[in-house]
Amino acid sequence: MDTIRAFLRHPSGMIGLVLLLVVLIVAIIAPLVFPVSPWEMVGAPFTPPGEDGMWLGGDTLGRDVAAGVAYGARVSLLIGIASALAAMVIGVVIGAMSGYFGGKIDLVLMRMTELFQTIPAFVLAILLVATFNPSLLTIILTIGAVSWPPLARLTRAEFLRLRHREFVEAALCQGERTWRIVLGHILPNAISPILVVTSLTVATAILLESALSFMGLGDPNLMSWGFMIGAGRTVIRNAWWMSVFPGIAILVTVLAINLFGEGLSDVLNPRVSRRRA
Amino acid sequence: MTEAVRTNAPVLAVEALSIALPKGGDRPLAVENVSFEIRPNEVVCLVGESGSGKSMIAHAVLSLLPRGVDIVSGAVTVAGQDPARLDRRALRSLRGGKAAMIFQEPLSSLNPLKRVGKQIEEMIVAHQRPAPSAAEVQQRVQTLLTQVGLPNPQLLANSYPFELSGGQRQRVMIAIAMANRPALLVADEPTTALDVTTQRQILRLIDDLRRDRGMGVLLITHDFGVVADVADRVVVLRHGKVVEQGTVHEVLSNPKADYTRELIDAVPKARFSDIQGTVVRPEPLLEVIGLQKTFRVKRGWLQPPREVVAAEGISLTLHEGETLAVVGESGSGKSTLGRMILRLTEPDGGAIRFGDQDLRQLRGEALRQARRQLQIVFQDPFASLNPRQKVGDAIARGPMAYGTSRTEATEQARKLLVRVGLSDAAADRYPHEFSGGQRQRICIARALALKPRVLIADEAVSALDVSVQAQVLALLAELRQEMRLAMIFITHDLRIAAEIADRVIVLQKGRIVEEGPTAEVFTAPRQAYTRDLLEAIPGRAFFDQPGFAATHADEIDSSVQRDALKI
Repeated sequence: MDTIRAFLRHPSGMIGLVLLLVVLIVAIIAPLVFPVSPWEMVGAPFTPPGEDGMWLGGDTLGRDVAAGVAYGARVSLLIGIASALAAMVIGVVIGAMSGYFGGKIDLVLMRMTELFQTIPAFVLAILLVATFNPSLLTIILTIGAVSWPPLARLTRAEFLRLRHREFVEAALCQGERTWRIVLGHILPNAISPILVVTSLTVATAILLESALSFMGLGDPNLMSWGFMIGAGRTVIRNAWWMSVFPGIAILVTVLAINLFGEGLSDVLNPRVSRRRA
Repeated sequence: MTEAVRTNAPVLAVEALSIALPKGGDRPLAVENVSFEIRPNEVVCLVGESGSGKSMIAHAVLSLLPRGVDIVSGAVTVAGQDPARLDRRALRSLRGGKAAMIFQEPLSSLNPLKRVGKQIEEMIVAHQRPAPSAAEVQQRVQTLLTQVGLPNPQLLANSYPFELSGGQRQRVMIAIAMANRPALLVADEPTTALDVTTQRQILRLIDDLRRDRGMGVLLITHDFGVVADVADRVVVLRHGKVVEQGTVHEVLSNPKADYTRELIDAVPKARFSDIQGTVVRPEPLLEVIGLQKTFRVKRGWLQPPREVVAAEGISLTLHEGETLAVVGESGSGKSTLGRMILRLTEPDGGAIRFGDQDLRQLRGEALRQARRQLQIVFQDPFASLNPRQKVGDAIARGPMAYGTSRTEATEQARKLLVRVGLSDAAADRYPHEFSGGQRQRICIARALALKPRVLIADEAVSALDVSVQAQVLALLAELRQEMRLAMIFITHDLRIAAEIADRVIVLQKGRIVEEGPTAEVFTAPRQAYTRDLLEAIPGRAFFDQPGFAATHADEIDSSVQRDALKI
């Protein structure tokens, strides 16, 4: 409760939360405001913003940009959150095993993590998506698969810090089983920084998804911000609205998540907070 | 004004000082209406338990109060100046110039990346105007290092803080503080993190320097033993208010306030415990045979690893209902010994026989089952409870891990909480709602929930205030009788060892240097090292440790006899 109250008093964190809620509401009510599919041609191609009942204009095929942005919010949030969760699961499992057991397990897992870290995430993502057929699921898994190394490193560091704390050793002496010690004693005390990094991973996941769609590697059935920018890119000099509005949507969402994540970090880790009381 | 009058003006005057805590603190004022003075060549001790506001006063003297904590009324005058009213430049020249400070933890007060010589130089260069020549500064650094009693000053000036021992680091801190011949030295618990023998040397050094230079010393401490040894005058604080002040003799021999008397009474007097272990069976419960452990610390690519011997052929026995104290300085391997018995640290060699098993051979489930019989209470009551686990759960989890049902284990946990002196409602609260002493009681309840046969107390009362320490020790003594516990009591404080133990083992660098019944070891130590440890106990002269002084011959005889009869 105190954490929530502290967060409510955190100015930039609250701005992030409000912006995020706006994006979320847009995503939820998209089908109500735009009953027609965003793929449907509803006006003349190259309609400028405001004309023909299209607030944000139409694209090269006369599809409503506003509808695209609204439906794109669903895709971006879904993929961002789902793939950040996937990255968290992979990262926490690998980091926890590495930090708790140490020794050879740690050595093997960390070399593997380094392998992933040395390959540029985007290149690896392109490779994976191109190998498997781009679909919602493969994109989520791909982004998850390239985003986990920082989370694994963080979890490992937290586990190393807590592994020999006295309350953990006391639990060991109490005869607690390994999984109880990990889940009941170490993880709850390591969870705050993990949550913060996961929330920031949502932002990078949205960017990754947009970049993949921009390259034409997104799910062809989903209207996404990256795809819209990619499609409007060739005509940006005479029809700026086709790429600028989805671009603003990405900017606002990613900024909102970053502000929210930093607010969360300040509230959950008051001792390393950048803002001093 | 004559020279004599001027030099006798107080170097520190604290007048009706009140310091406010930020909103939401446990009380509105950290310090309330505190007044005292320090004259040149005088040592004033500020004594109080944790939370009494003594450190706040020390920090106010150098205007080092944390943000949000402000002086609301009263004034501090250091050598004629009020630090709170000085601008930055004047404050800088006051700090480290006329007034210097040393802190409790010498490692975190030194810059780990700079050679200690450089750190002393910095202090001289920052304050001396006109700036002295490089050669002159070098000369001064050497002199200072010699004055604080460090061997081989040339070599030391080129060392990094991590290469020095705790005592040497504190000496370096003192050298830095002394660099500009301050009129006032503020020492905030300067020896709390050090061993008894080192503590005595550091206190003696501060006292010598004080006499040499005629400076005033404000010494903050929680230990009345230290007060008795070095103070001229004493200010006793409680909840931010002065309870009593006067000369050390007045306060210690004739305390006016009840609180002062309580504090003085709570100082462990090293009276031998009357509750000697009841029946001693010939068969030992726990037997440690030839335990070996060497820690290897990697240094550089080319240097050989540094080896620290923590145990070299340690053998001991423990019988049911017996309390064995393990004493020694830090680094003597006493904590490692306790941890090895519980297999929290893996020994390199030797055997740990418990019943008919060798604990060292056990793995997995067998080890888990054996650990049930052996429990530990750690030193730091704040680190040894999971902050996100309710107290009741913390206690109940142990029995539950061995198959007791949740309802039964919870019921038992509540009873145990009452037994250790807390209410059963404590079970539903989180550890942060309890004080250090209460938490240590919770830790004891957690250890006892499994009905162990051996309890290892690793510095279990060292982090507590003296009055709380006495209560927790009394609780342990009761429980030990009640549950016929065998206890290994690891401590650096010989006074406590004397009060609680039947037998004592003195460790030095991983070896047992002396072993025997408590009374025998403390009254007639055979080894020079044991004698050094005993002599270093603060406040010995004043508190006249009854058993330790050779004058109480009759008492010694009887207790030696008593122990002789037992064995």
